[in-house]
Amino acid sequence: MIEEKIICIGCPLGCETTLKIDDQGEVVKITGYKCKEGRQYVLEEHRSPVRVLTATVLTQNSARPLFPVRTSRPLLKTQLREAAKVLTKVKVKPPIRVGQIILPNLMNTGIDVIATDDLLN
Amino acid sequence: MKFSDVDVAVIGSGPAGMAAAIKAKEEGAEHVLILERQEQLGGLLHQCVHNGFGLLYFGQDLTGPEYACRFVEKIRDLGIEVLLETMVTQISFDRKLTAVNSREGPIHTQPKSIVLAMGCRERSRGQLSIPGTRPAGIFTAGTAQRLVNVEGFIPGKKVVILGSGDIGMIMARRLSLEGVEVKAVIEILPYVGGLIRNEVQCLHDFDIPLYLEYTVTQIHGEQRVEAVTIARVDKNKRPVDGTEQNIECDTLLLSVGLIPENELSRMAGVALDPLAGGPVVDERRETNVPGIFAGGNVVHVHDLVDDVSWEAEIAGAWAAQFSQKGAFEKKGKIVLRPGRNIRSIVPQTISGQSDVTFYIRVKEMEEKVRLRIGDIYDRAFRVAKPSEMIKVDLLQKELNLLKGNPSELVVECQKGE
Repeated sequence: MIEEKIICIGCPLGCETTLKIDDQGEVVKITGYKCKEGRQYVLEEHRSPVRVLTATVLTQNSARPLFPVRTSRPLLKTQLREAAKVLTKVKVKPPIRVGQIILPNLMNTGIDVIATDDLLN
Repeated sequence: MKFSDVDVAVIGSGPAGMAAAIKAKEEGAEHVLILERQEQLGGLLHQCVHNGFGLLYFGQDLTGPEYACRFVEKIRDLGIEVLLETMVTQISFDRKLTAVNSREGPIHTQPKSIVLAMGCRERSRGQLSIPGTRPAGIFTAGTAQRLVNVEGFIPGKKVVILGSGDIGMIMARRLSLEGVEVKAVIEILPYVGGLIRNEVQCLHDFDIPLYLEYTVTQIHGEQRVEAVTIARVDKNKRPVDGTEQNIECDTLLLSVGLIPENELSRMAGVALDPLAGGPVVDERRETNVPGIFAGGNVVHVHDLVDDVSWEAEIAGAWAAQFSQKGAFEKKGKIVLRPGRNIRSIVPQTISGQSDVTFYIRVKEMEEKVRLRIGDIYDRAFRVAKPSEMIKVDLLQKELNLLKGNPSELVVECQKGE
């Protein structure tokens, strides 16, 4: 039996919850949450914690040295650092419109990296 | 461009200024003019490349630039006039406004109404009085954010962050992802200054040590920061002898609070509220100077951009009305007074004649409390925290329930379920 502590971010309360996980990896008990939504969040955060990655990439032929991007959907938390490294090798050129795909299928996740701004010059 | 017939002038084009200008135009003000110091619209949103913007306003999780793009597009579609790279240097009590740029030179105008939307500034080392030398390598978190996200410079290799405001925590994550070693976040209070989601997703996710009830007592280094000394603090926030430890680093970031930008407000004779930090306003977000309105972080520093835009829309809507119909007939004035565990209340006064959106910040964190406004509002909250402002909407019909003709209303946060 192992314990995992997860802080709920659903509301300002920030409940500190404890999950008891058995040897098969099944959650057998959750304590410390104060609402249904909190319990659900904690379970999902335990099963597969995901985050949107936001970053900047280098530009070419532009007045701006950097250009902001993000992933189109949340990535697994464990993939954030590797994904950030991949983005250091990306270079973009104007014109780009907000929402345009900058890098398709990032690390074979099926998730795209998209522009979060216009780059007109 | 004609400056003789401006209906509503908006100073600043961040999330407040853009929202105010759009609202003013939509409410019928014909000639709306935005004056912006920078070379593009959007204010600070451009350097906030992280997400978490617009969850409430748009129902979508956007980054700062994406949030800005939506407003910029609307400004273009509505034909709102924009002066970029233009610095407003003066506003007078009778709304005479002076601005300057390198194309038109000095610009003089007297708009029918003005919306102040200059936002806020970061507190800097000078306001903290940290002892030690004066080496390079000390930045506010926002300056570091601009360097990293817009200009393309990494401020250092080993970073300590003093203060756990949202920008500081977001920079901790950003720098970690850029390969910088973030050695610690130091917070003088027993809890983080920013949002819970940022504590979890920016600090815990990247295993960044958080020292609560600690502060930086000394900065070391001649040319460049070489280390900082941190120490635990007692209940009075005084460093405790014998708890000092040195952390080797080449950069210190300060994320120790924001203050409304009051320079122009003061010049115009706008009365300021020492508790909220910015102008005293009524429910229309009108200041004591008729025809000068204010909204967003220039009034008081919000936690969420969505509220900045919403509040500025109130100012924009009433500024539009003022520009068309002239000064409001003011029948009454009720002063809001902070009672138990209340740090600040905006608006500070109300007329009782129209709907009100209150923003209330508590002094201390408390669980199981009731928030009361006079005898017309009473609601239970599971928790009240200084880092998360409470928003209360009261309709005019609820204000009609006010008994007698009160000249003040006490806002208080009491224990109770």
